[in-house]
Amino acid sequence: MTERIGLFADLHSNLEAFDACMDRAEELGVTRMVFLGDLVGYNADPVALIERIATLVKNKKAIAVLGNHDEAIFKDSGKQMNSSANAAIEWTKSQLNNEHVDFLKSLPLIIKEEKICFVHASAHNPADWNYITDSMSAWRCVQNSEKNYTFVGHAHEQALFYQSAVGKLIRFTPHPGEEIPVLQHRQWVGVVGSLGQPRDGNPEACFAVFEPESEMLTFHRAAYDYFTAADKVRRAGLPEDLANRLITGK
Amino acid sequence: MPMNTDIEAVDDIFQEGKVVDGFVIGKEVHRGGMASLFSATKEGINIPILLKVPRVGRDQPVESLIGFETELTILRSLKSPYVPKYLGSGNMATRPYIAMEQVEGRPLEDYIKEGKVFTIDEVVRIGADLAQAVQSLHSQDAIHLDLKPENILIDEKGKLTLIDFGLSHHARYPDLLAEEMRKGIGSAPYISPEQVAGIRSDSRSDIFSIGVIMYELLTGELPFGNPQTISGLRKRMWAEPFPPRALRREIPRWLQELVLRCLEPRAADRYQSATRLRQLLRDPEGVTLTERADRVEPPSFWENLKGMFKAAGYEPSPSPRPSMGNFDAPLIIAAIDTRQSDEDLRERMQITAKNLLQAYPESRLVCLSTISSTPTFEGNQENETASGIVRGHLVQLMDWAKPLKLPPERISYHVLEAIDPASRIVEFAKDNDASLILIGASHKLPNKVTPWRTSMTKIVEEAPCSVHIVRT
Repeated sequence: MTERIGLFADLHSNLEAFDACMDRAEELGVTRMVFLGDLVGYNADPVALIERIATLVKNKKAIAVLGNHDEAIFKDSGKQMNSSANAAIEWTKSQLNNEHVDFLKSLPLIIKEEKICFVHASAHNPADWNYITDSMSAWRCVQNSEKNYTFVGHAHEQALFYQSAVGKLIRFTPHPGEEIPVLQHRQWVGVVGSLGQPRDGNPEACFAVFEPESEMLTFHRAAYDYFTAADKVRRAGLPEDLANRLITGK
Repeated sequence: MPMNTDIEAVDDIFQEGKVVDGFVIGKEVHRGGMASLFSATKEGINIPILLKVPRVGRDQPVESLIGFETELTILRSLKSPYVPKYLGSGNMATRPYIAMEQVEGRPLEDYIKEGKVFTIDEVVRIGADLAQAVQSLHSQDAIHLDLKPENILIDEKGKLTLIDFGLSHHARYPDLLAEEMRKGIGSAPYISPEQVAGIRSDSRSDIFSIGVIMYELLTGELPFGNPQTISGLRKRMWAEPFPPRALRREIPRWLQELVLRCLEPRAADRYQSATRLRQLLRDPEGVTLTERADRVEPPSFWENLKGMFKAAGYEPSPSPRPSMGNFDAPLIIAAIDTRQSDEDLRERMQITAKNLLQAYPESRLVCLSTISSTPTFEGNQENETASGIVRGHLVQLMDWAKPLKLPPERISYHVLEAIDPASRIVEFAKDNDASLILIGASHKLPNKVTPWRTSMTKIVEEAPCSVHIVRT
């Protein structure tokens, strides 16, 4: 069977979005899943998400890396996050048992396979959570990933950085559902977009599917019930703005 | 890049009689600068097949490989009766080829070379068919960008096919030729002024090329000649072509109007779609006649001079640049001379930049430096070197900006290739709607910094925005 890797990042305890994306991934014939960090934070279902992902990892159906929100559960992140994000982290801590926290602690910062590097923020000092937003940050990332394909999250908007004729990495905004040839002699950085808290004005959940053999990458958006997800955020007593941004996608 | 390791092997694979992925290779039907073409057959495919194999090797221009990759991506996605059908492809690294439908017909170029005189009706029909073919590309988000008689096949029934998508642009795929440092790639007589300026995302560029082709078919002349230099290429940004009716009296006025309108320097002044162009060629009643239709004399010296002044402020139609981010916030350009090493000035400039950025919380900083030309036309080795030079300068810029501690979304770095740094900086400021240019003027080393000072004067005079000169 042709390997088809489902790439999911910044899931942020959003169970409705998670389930919708898992369904779509199955339809698309995904054979293996990679969770690119920030499993928790912001939204209302940290326990369900951790348990589902932990089961997938245990059954060797998925791998996962650590994100900054996951790290904040067991490590003082200081003043790096805004107040809503911090409030969500504090609330999340109150929901998790030791087993959940241990699972987050067990996640590696970066995973490098033969041709692909998976990391939450950037392969350049992964623990510093550098955003990949422009050509320079993408270049620093590939210099350190040493792989032709690097898949990341952290920046919530979908983007594909590609090596142009002059060697510079150029940002491309992908069109959902469109297969993009990503030939392996170039270097590519795919920012797969946020599953649990999209911020580009479109509330649909982001993910991507990579097929190494055919060298094709497709970015996807999945519709899901964000009203329910937002309602859960409100009922959990989390900050109102976190609920609203699920509905507006901003 | 692994594809270069087995150059001989690639040549060995594609030989008459051999089989690649089920394609039985036939005769080599064409050997061009960028690629070789073989006829082929394959079981289950009942149309004539053509294999296009890129020429690889150190003496090859990098565009031949990037062009191949671009063509593969775009041809694979296109569905059009005016484009050869894509039938398969091989792995880029080991056996690069594109299999496509072998289309009947001869290049329009052959007819021109034979000295064929096209009747007015023939030109109108070819123009209309060309517009229709181009429209089918545009409707799929693709722009050809290399329309020329060589790339247009016409069969015995007059059916037209567009070939060679090696320089094309497709909005849904990464543009591998974007930000290519050597501007104006394409065929000199046919490319639009905005292509000369390095813009690859304007579908109206194809309208311009159609205008050049029609002009050529009507008059036997090229409206802007076949320039070999960048300054020669820039002439089309202002020059008015010789009116076609002055060369061939029987050309109807409406047709001169239409062709000259396609050749307008500003894309916004041309017909805005290939559909519209086709409609007008089918139904000339709709053509609105202006003074263009009445031109019979070659443009006078004064008219050309006016045009030149207009072109001095030539601004390609704006196309969005993701890397430039938010246009609403003021954009500040710090022009940094990476060659000079005046520590005091460096620090003073950093402080000034910091203060300005604090004053405008939504502002963004672009750190800019210019370099003279780098090699871009050689093989992969040289290309690596060219990008190496750029990277070196980028690293210097990053180092310069480090003390400012700006978040990545507020800063970007650009190394521009320019023979005349001042003009390039001014052009960049215009293209990006900059609000302020920051430059340094050193009191030290007066002799050594003279060229930069001259640049400074020029920037002050020509900048579209405020200029802040930092002195120690």
